[in-house]
Amino acid sequence: MPHVLISSKKCTGCHMCELACSAYHEGAYRPSVARLYSECNPTTGAIRGHTCLQLACAKCQKVCPTGAIVTKEITLTIPGDFPAKEKVGEVVKGYVLVVDEDLCTNCGDCYEVCPTNVIHEHPDRHVAFKCDLCDGDPQCIAFCQNPHVLAVDLKIDKADRELQPAEAPA
Amino acid sequence: MDFYQGKVLRLDLSTSTSVVEPLNMEWAERYIGGKGLLLRYLWDEVPPQVDPWAPENPVILMTGPFAGTNVSTSSRLVVGCKSPQTGILNDSYVGGSFAPEMKFAGYDVIIITGESPEPVVVTIKDDVVSFVPAKPKYWGMRTSEIEQALRDDFDPDAKTLSIGPAGENEILWACLSTDQFHKAGRGGHGALWGHKKLKAVAIRGTGSVSVGDARAFLADLLRIHSEYVLTEDNLWANEEGTPILAQVMSDAGVMPTRNWSSGTFDEVENINSDAFLKIRTRNRACYQCAIGCRQFHEIDGVTGEGPEYETIALCGGNCGIGDISALMKFNEQCDQLGLDTISTGSVVGLAMDLTERGIKDFGMRFGETEGYLKAPGLLAAREGLGADLALGVRALAAKYGAPELAMEVKNMELPGYDPRGAFGMSLGYATSDRGGCHMRTYPIADEVIAGALAPDTLDGKALKVVWGNPAEGMIGENFSAVKFAGIWCDFWAITPEQIAQLLKHVWKHEFSEEEVFRIGERIWNLGRLFNLREGVEPDTIPQKLYSEEGAHTTGASAGRFIGAETFEKALREFYQIRGWDENGVPSEAKLAEVGVDVRL
Repeated sequence: MPHVLISSKKCTGCHMCELACSAYHEGAYRPSVARLYSECNPTTGAIRGHTCLQLACAKCQKVCPTGAIVTKEITLTIPGDFPAKEKVGEVVKGYVLVVDEDLCTNCGDCYEVCPTNVIHEHPDRHVAFKCDLCDGDPQCIAFCQNPHVLAVDLKIDKADRELQPAEAPA
Repeated sequence: MDFYQGKVLRLDLSTSTSVVEPLNMEWAERYIGGKGLLLRYLWDEVPPQVDPWAPENPVILMTGPFAGTNVSTSSRLVVGCKSPQTGILNDSYVGGSFAPEMKFAGYDVIIITGESPEPVVVTIKDDVVSFVPAKPKYWGMRTSEIEQALRDDFDPDAKTLSIGPAGENEILWACLSTDQFHKAGRGGHGALWGHKKLKAVAIRGTGSVSVGDARAFLADLLRIHSEYVLTEDNLWANEEGTPILAQVMSDAGVMPTRNWSSGTFDEVENINSDAFLKIRTRNRACYQCAIGCRQFHEIDGVTGEGPEYETIALCGGNCGIGDISALMKFNEQCDQLGLDTISTGSVVGLAMDLTERGIKDFGMRFGETEGYLKAPGLLAAREGLGADLALGVRALAAKYGAPELAMEVKNMELPGYDPRGAFGMSLGYATSDRGGCHMRTYPIADEVIAGALAPDTLDGKALKVVWGNPAEGMIGENFSAVKFAGIWCDFWAITPEQIAQLLKHVWKHEFSEEEVFRIGERIWNLGRLFNLREGVEPDTIPQKLYSEEGAHTTGASAGRFIGAETFEKALREFYQIRGWDENGVPSEAKLAEVGVDVRL
């Protein structure tokens, strides 16, 4: 299943992904409501990415009492920096978890269980909001452009969740 | 208005009060933001001829229109005041994440005036401003400690601008720190904060920056980044960063060595880019920068970002230090104490020189690490001989009867480029609007790095200093002024045409390259008026750097000297090109032509 991961080793902490994410979804730059984020310790340089693992995790969906976290099919093109070069440009179908705002009661159960801390109450709409892979054109990946860095990447293998530990770095 | 928040936050430390005012959009249209808008605010906010230490001398924190967006490198903040070190304008720039956070909190500008009766920390969360006593907890903290404490006590996502112990003790070149390793380094903002008893400003913003059609803007930025930003011309900064300059400058006879007694450092291979690559651990970026030039290094238990070239030159070669581990330790101390490394390395190099000459024993000699590593701590505390070091190179050299050993312009210590190896830098230092600084024009890019201009002549250099050499990517004063209005970082070799493309998103009309240059010239002239109003010293450089007696005897620049007459002639040519009279006063015609809206 497709989802986004941030490499703790490669990420420079530029936050371009958060900025683009918020601009795309909110219509203005507001990284405090970005759907992913990179946690950076300025003194040690340590970085930890927080992204939604979609169906590889799905804890929000399982805990939701009203069925507001729904599975949605999307079509996306494998971006140019994908590790498996033979797949670059390939159009794949996959599933993401999105919030049905009519069903969401803002009970907060999903906020509690999310292991990567990327589903929250929207400060204006007062319902849950989360990553939807920008309907197949993830802006976070698009704006992680430095050819030496490319820290934000698409993962399709479910086992990749282990690459992103739940505990923050010390 | 898209891109601008339209709000100025005014903090009065004397009364612990704050008020929000509208941003002057007429000024914003004329001066853009960053340096330009800062100078326009300084013109009105600084009472003419004010004592820099007076409560009325403001500190202004200014963002650019693109802070808090995806425009690469534009996260920079400029801090401005009338400098307690130089007595003229001081615009000091810092990357990191403070400026975007200001925008998200809703402010383009923060103006700080007054003087707190007791040490204070100001916290700002969106529209909630608090004045928190800095004693007993925060006063005295080093820079990493104060940042962590404010993240713990105020907000885990707070961004801070703070001083270390050096600022508290009003060291003339104390700097402001943010994100631990990023410094608004030059001109003594830290000293002024210490005098105002302001330890830190911590800010957290949860609002938004609007840019019109956000998705169209994102699409255009993807194009701009791949075509103009992530190019070979810029990515050297990510691959190697400024340590790459150490070998180049030493080979060209330009690297200050043993208090400017040579331009070539015989131990440079121990502190050049290859040496730093061996101890590099990771790469970091400022907020909203796709390039990412910040390099983390680790050796002998010291971990941190940097040092950058200026630190390598002044705290390394200029002190005769070729020990990379000692240099890292020295740099870490300066970072933690909140000291500008250019001025610190200069004054320590001078103290070593005075010791070696038998004039005054400071217990520190060229190349010896023991006294060297004690210097930052003594200096920041004004302890023992540190009180002498805190005088700065001009007053220290004068005190011991050796003024010819002080390398400064307008009482700001010179950075890491010896003009004897690159003559154009002499004019750049002399005419810089804040004193001895390499960031206003960079003729050395042509004279040494690209090799497009001969380094051993001043012929034609006045024109290059004013206008740059855009075809070769060399920055002149007018262009740096508009670039720092953006505020774009030097590591994006942005062109006037690219600036025009970005400004069009803000002001919704076309800008020609000529207009972009004219904005820069307008800003530069405004700065000159400010300095004339406050009383600026003559535009010159230390005699040693242009006289025959001062010529080097070794290295690539050996035997070269500019000559007093040649220097004076180039300066007159510079004034002529600028449309200024022989005293450096802008003519009415020039001010009208470039659209400066104030007069002396």
